[in-house]
Amino acid sequence: MPMVTINGVEVEVEKDVSILEAAAQAGFDVPHFCYHPALSAPANCRMCLVEVERAPKLLPACYNPVSDGMVVQTESEQVVRARKAVLEFILVNHPVDCPICDKAGECKLQDYYFAYDAQESRMRAEKQHKVKAYPIGPRVVYDGERCILCTRCIRFCEEISGTSELTLADRGDKIEVRTFPGQELDNDYSLCTVDVCPVGALTSRDFRFKCRVWLLTSTESICTGCSQGCNIHLDHFRNETQRYRPRYNSEVNDYWMCDDGRLTYKNLHTDRLLSPQHNGATDNWHTLTKSVAAKLEKQIKAHGEESIALVLSAQAACEDIFLAKLFHEEILGKKAQLYIAGKPSGKHDDFLINADKNPNRRGIEAVFAKLDGIKDVATLAGDITAGTIKTVYMMGTEFGEGDRSEAVAALKKCELFILQSTQGADLLDVAHIALPACTHAEKEGTFVNEEGIAQPFYKAYEPHGDSLPDWQIFMRIAKAMGKSTLNFTFLSKVQDRMFEATELLRKAEEEAAAAAKKAAEEAAAKKAEEEAKKAEESAAATEEPQDSTPS
Amino acid sequence: MGTVNVKVLERHQKTFWEKSYIPEISRGLGVTVKQFFKNLSPNKEKRDTFTIQYPEAGTDHYAERFRGQHRLMKREDGQVRCVACMCCSTICPANCIHIEAAEHDDPSIEKYPKVFVIDELRCIVCGLCVEACPCDAIRMDTGTHMAPRTDRTTAFHQRDDLLKKGGISIATRAGQKALASKSS
Ligand code: SF4
Ligand code: SF4
Ligand code: SF4
Ligand code: SF4
Ligand code: FES
Repeated sequence: MPMVTINGVEVEVEKDVSILEAAAQAGFDVPHFCYHPALSAPANCRMCLVEVERAPKLLPACYNPVSDGMVVQTESEQVVRARKAVLEFILVNHPVDCPICDKAGECKLQDYYFAYDAQESRMRAEKQHKVKAYPIGPRVVYDGERCILCTRCIRFCEEISGTSELTLADRGDKIEVRTFPGQELDNDYSLCTVDVCPVGALTSRDFRFKCRVWLLTSTESICTGCSQGCNIHLDHFRNETQRYRPRYNSEVNDYWMCDDGRLTYKNLHTDRLLSPQHNGATDNWHTLTKSVAAKLEKQIKAHGEESIALVLSAQAACEDIFLAKLFHEEILGKKAQLYIAGKPSGKHDDFLINADKNPNRRGIEAVFAKLDGIKDVATLAGDITAGTIKTVYMMGTEFGEGDRSEAVAALKKCELFILQSTQGADLLDVAHIALPACTHAEKEGTFVNEEGIAQPFYKAYEPHGDSLPDWQIFMRIAKAMGKSTLNFTFLSKVQDRMFEATELLRKAEEEAAAAAKKAAEEAAAKKAEEEAKKAEESAAATEEPQDSTPS
Repeated sequence: MGTVNVKVLERHQKTFWEKSYIPEISRGLGVTVKQFFKNLSPNKEKRDTFTIQYPEAGTDHYAERFRGQHRLMKREDGQVRCVACMCCSTICPANCIHIEAAEHDDPSIEKYPKVFVIDELRCIVCGLCVEACPCDAIRMDTGTHMAPRTDRTTAFHQRDDLLKKGGISIATRAGQKALASKSS
């Protein structure tokens, strides 16, 4: 492996890494615009020029691979002077309208200008004017004047989304990013071009002008748009989510996320159920949990445990599901029916988008270890009309692939329908009791994605209104029913118990599997033994006459 | 060890007149009454004190760079100069500027404040918003200030009220030409 010296620091790096990556390993940032770790390196911006000993001139660090014994300076006088010149060149026609520009605050050009250029423009002629606020796609707005022509967006569409809508058109100071004739930037990942654009040339139609980026606080979270579980930065301001941004995770989503998922944040704020409702009237948690407890007890007494349905939502976090499991085992009774619900499946592709639009279906599997005995919510309507189910306790408002209107009609016939959800949707009028749950932005938890990777998400801000995390709602009702076994003070305690339990379940399963395997092996061994014996016997049998022949 | 010099002070002994209080009190009251009538004199020149009905009535005693209530400046065509960059609301230590940006119909303007509210009661009149503004869009040179009021909502100055007080500014980069438009 080659040894290189960067600013006097020696590092050993993989063969063929670029100088820029080697410098990063040595702890030095080399300013760059066109280089992106997930895209090819065209070396067109020249921002990353560095000094390499014995090289005749400065080299672009993003493009040139290291070689053994290379000595590199990334902050030498010559390099800094080159950077200043490159910046001045890039800024010749740049409007520098940062106050209006949505990228200001997270703009590489702005940052590098202050770090390396910081001079007044020497341009005296009128600047070149290009398109402003041009709708290059339905979700993306392009500003030709701010574009520094790094081609990151073009390479994204060629190399990652594979849709190749973009190209550079014209030459010289008229050059612009355009779509090919008759096309627009409308692929499922088009908003990633906004992320890769180092300046404010591409902005998101949705986020544009909504909030200045320096006011945002970022919380690590998971996208709930589908079962891929893309890692995101949940950017929020004053208790409201303003946007999602992809967060790098090489195992799950790399640097990307899909447009639909990115816009699911809107659900966090639309038509929220914000206060507990009792027959349509606003109530408070204290009295309402008591009446829920009384009603549930009455129903259990009148019709037995098996008349109660607990509908689990694949939108809820593992911790919530785990509490639902305990609630089922210890409060409702093991004979109560379990159903699994979630959003109906939708479109999918072979990159990130999964057909299952629920973030945590695998989480339910992980908590319950096996899903037999848990019915699909599509059968709930039938069970209610058949009269086997009299009480429904439902998490979320989704009916999976089932027929929604049929399900809603059936729920109207329930003796008791308790809804526990972030939104009431059309079920609010039907529900006897509605319990406001908070969204994943307002609590901490774990989702298990399609691949079975358990990923934590964190609380960004306080729950809106009177809403509470699902796991706490289950605990409150359990407490009102006089059973204090469900008593966790912190989420970490729930997690400890949950991981312990799932671990036990997993171990039990593994043991069972091992035992089965052993039994099978033993049986096989026995069989083999027997067969060997038989073969021996038959061999002996055949041998005997052989022996006898010569004699 | 050095020696300590002690100076013994004679106590001031009160005279009989002083001890009896009455004459001294009437002497003091006399000063008050004299001043009282002097300041009631119809000839204002002769008065020793003057009262300004502050802040209801205006005064010309303001310094040239006095910071009063805000106003928003206009472009030459009368539109709001503010581009909703939020520099002022970001720097404001009292957190009293609320701006909602929106896309302008005119693409050459791009962004403008759909909502711009200053809570003048919360404002601590520091002037940082004016310093921060890159566009000479907000000024505090109205020479007026918050008068006492009973209704808090009247202290929320809306964009259009602020604009009514504003004049046209033709300031360009780095505040050049800003002074030329000051008086308007
Ligand atoms: S792209 Fe960057 S430098 Fe250019 S106007 Fe926007 S924030 Fe300023
Ligand atoms: S739009 Fe942005 S990403 Fe695309 S070439 Fe211009 S500056 Fe680069
Ligand atoms: S004067 Fe100071 S406190 Fe008042 S609005 Fe401006 S920045 Fe805020
Ligand atoms: S700093 Fe000036 S331009 Fe920016 S929002 Fe405030 S008043 Fe408007
Ligand atoms: S980052 Fe190396 S040339 Fe652009």
